[in-house]
Amino acid sequence: MNKIWIAFLTSFGLLSASCSEKTNTKKDDGNGLDRTSFLTFYADSIIRPSYQNFNSDFQLMRQSAELFIANPNETNLTNFRNNWASAYLSWQSVELFDFGPAEKITLRNFYNIYPADTNGIHANILNPSNTLETPVSYAQQGFPALDYLLNGVGSNQTEILNFYTNADQGSKRTAYIKRLIDKMDLLLSEVITDWNGNYKNTFISQTGLDIGSSTSLMVNGLVLHYERFIRTGKFGIPSGVVSNGILAPNKVEAFYKKDISKSLAQASHLAYINYFNGKSFGSNQEGSSLKTYLDALNAKDNVSGKNLSTLINEQFAIVEAKLNLLNPNLSEEVTNNNSKMIDVATEMQAVVRMLKVDMSSAMSITITYTDNDGD
Amino acid sequence: MTAINTYFNKTTSAAPLAVFRICFGLMMLFSIIRFWANGWIKSLYIDPSYFFSYYGFEFVKPLGNYTYLLFAICAVSALFVALGFLYRYASLSLFVSFTYIELMDKSTYLNHYYFISLVCFLLVFLPANCYFSLDANRKPKYASKLIPQWSIDSLKLMMAILYFYAGLAKLNSDWLMHALPLKIWLPARNDMPIIGPIFNYNSTAYLFSWLGCLYDLSIPFLLWNKTTRPFAYATVIIFHALTALLFPIGMFPHIMMVAALVFFSPNFHSRILSFISKWVRFEPNAVAENSLAKNPSFVKPLFILFFIVQLLLPFRHLAYPGELFWTEEGYRFSWRVMLIEKAGSIQFTVKDSNGNFEVVNPKDYLSPLQEKMMATQPDMILQFAHHLRNKYKELGYAQTSVYADSYVTLNGRLGKQFINPNTDLAKEEESFAHKDWIKPFTDEIAGL
Repeated sequence: MNKIWIAFLTSFGLLSASCSEKTNTKKDDGNGLDRTSFLTFYADSIIRPSYQNFNSDFQLMRQSAELFIANPNETNLTNFRNNWASAYLSWQSVELFDFGPAEKITLRNFYNIYPADTNGIHANILNPSNTLETPVSYAQQGFPALDYLLNGVGSNQTEILNFYTNADQGSKRTAYIKRLIDKMDLLLSEVITDWNGNYKNTFISQTGLDIGSSTSLMVNGLVLHYERFIRTGKFGIPSGVVSNGILAPNKVEAFYKKDISKSLAQASHLAYINYFNGKSFGSNQEGSSLKTYLDALNAKDNVSGKNLSTLINEQFAIVEAKLNLLNPNLSEEVTNNNSKMIDVATEMQAVVRMLKVDMSSAMSITITYTDNDGD
Repeated sequence: MTAINTYFNKTTSAAPLAVFRICFGLMMLFSIIRFWANGWIKSLYIDPSYFFSYYGFEFVKPLGNYTYLLFAICAVSALFVALGFLYRYASLSLFVSFTYIELMDKSTYLNHYYFISLVCFLLVFLPANCYFSLDANRKPKYASKLIPQWSIDSLKLMMAILYFYAGLAKLNSDWLMHALPLKIWLPARNDMPIIGPIFNYNSTAYLFSWLGCLYDLSIPFLLWNKTTRPFAYATVIIFHALTALLFPIGMFPHIMMVAALVFFSPNFHSRILSFISKWVRFEPNAVAENSLAKNPSFVKPLFILFFIVQLLLPFRHLAYPGELFWTEEGYRFSWRVMLIEKAGSIQFTVKDSNGNFEVVNPKDYLSPLQEKMMATQPDMILQFAHHLRNKYKELGYAQTSVYADSYVTLNGRLGKQFINPNTDLAKEEESFAHKDWIKPFTDEIAGL
């Protein structure tokens, strides 16, 4: 009977010996597998600078709004509009950070729920004590509400100006603009303060992959963002892909401005690609990222031998090519060329799957608290 | 035949079975309390609007708020089993209530819950209350110091089957040749204090895979053998402590560490009992040394049948074509533990004959756990498709069809379409037959 024991011990010994040989020749020493490094890079080189940049664009918009409110004339309206459009574009680079501070206060709900609820907006103008905190009110504020207020309350410049110079209601209407911008400003400063303060350290130090850890929150947030807000929101709903084929040209982003919906979508998609690849904000420098982590994990398709990150980037590129085919006004595209919109939604679905299934599985991201024995 | 008869006539001390009863009852009690405290009764059995029944057990459903009562009954039964109080009723009620809980929703299936159900079943028929129990003290005529050897051996055999079959299941190319899924899971733990960095090496995944397989295949024999037992038990502790640290597998490691004590000698267990006796000031009544607890005559054939089923059931996948890890036909109830990293995403399109259609995101109907489990398991996909069919019929859809658009990754392979998108799942029926609407697995995994 001792023989069994001896055999068992010997096999243990042989195995450890053979494996220690491997260890010596193997090059991977944990480089690239340290999650602190990509968390740090994301916080310092992408998230915080992106918020900083968005904040300055937002403050420009705020200043021009104040000028417009003080003096609603044609020049001030044009400036306000232009600064609104650039702030909206810049927002596309921070909307994807739907984890941590932004997720805690659900920043997105107060910034970009569309289509705007125009009846609600008019009701709120009449009654400034209406709440802006309930889910119903989300579509009455943020960039979509400003879109309506700047571009949709009249059919031309003069009509829009008249809306604000109206002796009776004008001041109430500008007051609502101020109310919306003040609210956005307050929430944004909370998020930025959090990222510049304690949260950054929390983010970097929660290096696990269990639920509640930074990587898990970040990846789940990012995947959801791509699926729900980039794909479904910008393309799936307007094109009817996710809504039983019912076309909804009025449900595109920036519906009233009309000609920026494509560039908003492109900006959000590019920001997403850059985030995945760890491209520093405002430069071409790449750092530790989901891409480098997946590469370090050696996540690849064993048939083609290609890295998973390469395959994801290839699919990103296909989506970008489909996006390029669109005209600037996505609402028109839904009406005239909806198949192009559907193409984008279809190719985006392939990205969703790679991120949600292949990437999350390769990274071993947990989605529930309950016990699991891996089957 | 005489050898077999001699074996069945052998007797042994009742102490090991008494210790097993006490430990098992207490661990069950603790498991239920933990489950309750974590809020899982609510999140798993009350909050969801749909539950995945087992084929043939569709009548087993959560009981709304009475589900708490069910868990309470289970907890009290576990305590009574530990105390050996009203044991026949308590053990039966423990088996029934626990098994009912496990049958309520497939998405919570865990091999160790299945193991617990089976042990509860065995305990119903074992004379585990004949010694060191409240029953034995209350009714001295039921008290005895000896039990048939096969009573305690049946528990050992159950454990041996669990380990050995878990080992057999690891004899496949993914596990042994590619160290999958450990190669995926271990780096996720590389931030653990002290041992974390070793998980950055692929060689660690290989080492753990091979040792794990070797451990599972050999541990029953090493525990059974007196000489190797202390060493074997030490590896039980190390192995399960490590799995407890690395993976979210709940009570399982602790239950196995305690249950493996059953392999130790009667002397060892007598010492445990005298320790407990002093600690809780419980004095068992004196019992005649040669008093023997008798099992009713039907128990022996019942157990033989039970173990034949146990030995065969894990091989039922051989009756199905295709890769087991992909189709999962015959995957459950077979001790396939921690074998695959599988994830999927699925959407359904519900259509009717009038041209109405709707794309359904399962998230709107299921909990995250249910959605995750359903996305990779064809029988659950079919159940959910039928659920949608019935829902939309209520909404006025005429002749509802349900199609699945699915994508599944298995052990790091790039995701592939899982379900034939042209199959109308509303028309497919659940059965034990092969589901030919599962798309074939495009790779090969060699082995058992």
